Amino acid sequence: MAQILKTTSVGSFPKPPALIRARQQFRRGEISAEDLRQAERAATAEVIAMQEALGLDILVHGEMERGDMVAYFAENWTGFAESLPVRSYGNRYYHKPVVTGKVALPAGAGLTVESWRAAQALTEKPVKGMLTGPYTICDWSFNDYYPDRRSLVLDLAHLVHEEAMALALSGAQYIQIDEPAISTRPQELDLAIEAMGIVTRDLPAHTISHICYGDFEAILPGLFDLPVDQLDLEAANGQFQLLELLRRVSWPKHKELALGVVDVHSHRLESVDEVKAGILRALEVVPLEQLYIDPDCGLKTRTWEEASQKLAVMMEAVNALRSEEGLK
Amino acid sequence: MRITTLGSYPKIPYDNGPNVRSAIQRFERKSIGPFELDQVFLRRTRHVLQVAEQNKLDLTSDGLIRWNDMFDGVVRDLDNVSSAGLLRLFDNNFYYRHPLIRGRLSFQGGVVRWWLKEAVASSKVPIKAVLPGPFTFLKLSQDDSYHNSDALLEDLVEVLRLEALSLADVGIAEVQWDEPALAYYPDWNMTKVAATLAQLTAQQPLPQALALYWGNGVGRWLEPLSGVGFSRLYLDAVSDPGVVSTITNNPPACEVGLGLVDARQVKKESVDELARQLQPIVRRLGESNVWLHPSSGLELLPPDHAEAKVRILRDVRDTIRGSSGNGGLG
Repeated sequence: MAQILKTTSVGSFPKPPALIRARQQFRRGEISAEDLRQAERAATAEVIAMQEALGLDILVHGEMERGDMVAYFAENWTGFAESLPVRSYGNRYYHKPVVTGKVALPAGAGLTVESWRAAQALTEKPVKGMLTGPYTICDWSFNDYYPDRRSLVLDLAHLVHEEAMALALSGAQYIQIDEPAISTRPQELDLAIEAMGIVTRDLPAHTISHICYGDFEAILPGLFDLPVDQLDLEAANGQFQLLELLRRVSWPKHKELALGVVDVHSHRLESVDEVKAGILRALEVVPLEQLYIDPDCGLKTRTWEEASQKLAVMMEAVNALRSEEGLK
Repeated sequence: MRITTLGSYPKIPYDNGPNVRSAIQRFERKSIGPFELDQVFLRRTRHVLQVAEQNKLDLTSDGLIRWNDMFDGVVRDLDNVSSAGLLRLFDNNFYYRHPLIRGRLSFQGGVVRWWLKEAVASSKVPIKAVLPGPFTFLKLSQDDSYHNSDALLEDLVEVLRLEALSLADVGIAEVQWDEPALAYYPDWNMTKVAATLAQLTAQQPLPQALALYWGNGVGRWLEPLSGVGFSRLYLDAVSDPGVVSTITNNPPACEVGLGLVDARQVKKESVDELARQLQPIVRRLGESNVWLHPSSGLELLPPDHAEAKVRILRDVRDTIRGSSGNGGLG
């Protein structure tokens, strides 16, 4: 029988201390790019090992080579300039890209393939290919070139599509295209859906879109038209209030839900019971066979220990539910 | 015409100045202690005030350097409310900790007052307090206690009034209430909003101002809110460009600030174009009744661009002052 309540993680992991040191040394010119790559590969191996030890079903590579989910693509594609950091919350900052020309891939697609391939080689379990969606890349950049947002989003959609195809052709079974900005402007939901249609067109992979920290009420049920197989939504951060909204809009038959059950922006470690309670509430609105379980968002803001503990609590709750009568 | 900033300012420098980000990182690694961290907050605040002085602002915020988000200081000053999970702040890639209300609100005070007292002592430019307005607080918080928005709003107005009153003797020149929710969301009961804001500003010893930004519904509030006790309205004319003609055609009864300098895009405005746009308004409303400011707080920009936007304010003001003495810009 197929596994129920498949577990996964959203994307980023905290960078282990050795990689943090290597990145600092690289910035100071003390080590080579190849030395940095080696440190990233070693850190990726730790990320894969942690997930395997905890028993997750679908793994992520942890994004050890990325500083920020938008800036990473902007740094490697043409048409962007880097800005000084801008704060996004608390003490977290990112280099908000500035679009200064027509966006393009510098030397063909495949930017994300090497890191995915290296991670996949470490495990028998599927590793997700990780991309940032065109709407979010547009929304989280300053636009100093395109006449309007639509033309920028659609140009970006074609680039993300090429990246997604490169991942799929390399063997990625699951490809996640993150669109956390999609709820930002409900009036542009159709544009985001159109762009995702370009990204996932003829893509031979199971597609996922992660969305978080937004006004879901403003974009549901329209969000269900996003052309992906699975929506990955954060819930623990909002005390699972998202489920009350989902109860009202009726979850679609053709879509999977990956539900965030631990808050990645809190030092507090959730109890197994509260995670179980959240999952049971979710099962009241989403059929068991359509429900996946993961953290609210990428874990990079936690310490290594916190990330491990939160995932362990998540797995303990899932394993307890899997063994309970009525859920098999 | 006078110039001012609206609220937040980058907490990091574009050069080697005081850097709150790295100070917090060092504090968390235990390489500095609470005193040194506090000194960095103070030095960064002083930098914001120096920028205001160098550009000859007529009024400034303290940059909200100590605030994590627009609610933070006030949440620290209230009982039975805490900063909870992260949520996106309107349509920005910025996330605030939403106020979680778990009991009847009461005012404790002291935090915002202390922060402003410290800023006033360091500033040669008059300083304003920047506080969240009751409707934005109501809309962006989570109520786990009242389960009655009218009752919650009533208490919010009272505790916010107490916050403003607690600032009366610290030396600030104005209390600016930020109400982006009124501009961003439609479907407000305008009569009720006007009556509530009149209650908020009633018998306050300091001049009260209202800032509306980040939504295309700025202009609709001009008429209902121009007579409810605000001495100034600060209006985001980037998000709602129509507000410029509304003001020109129907000048409100109070002073008006126009947020024509985009606080969310790095593109630099043309000083001459802005001056040309503002001149007829200045002529119509009178020089002392018009203010120019960024469309919102400047913290959503990188620090170099934030400072450049302040210089644009100065250059537009100087251009208009220069041109008013020699017959205008043509």
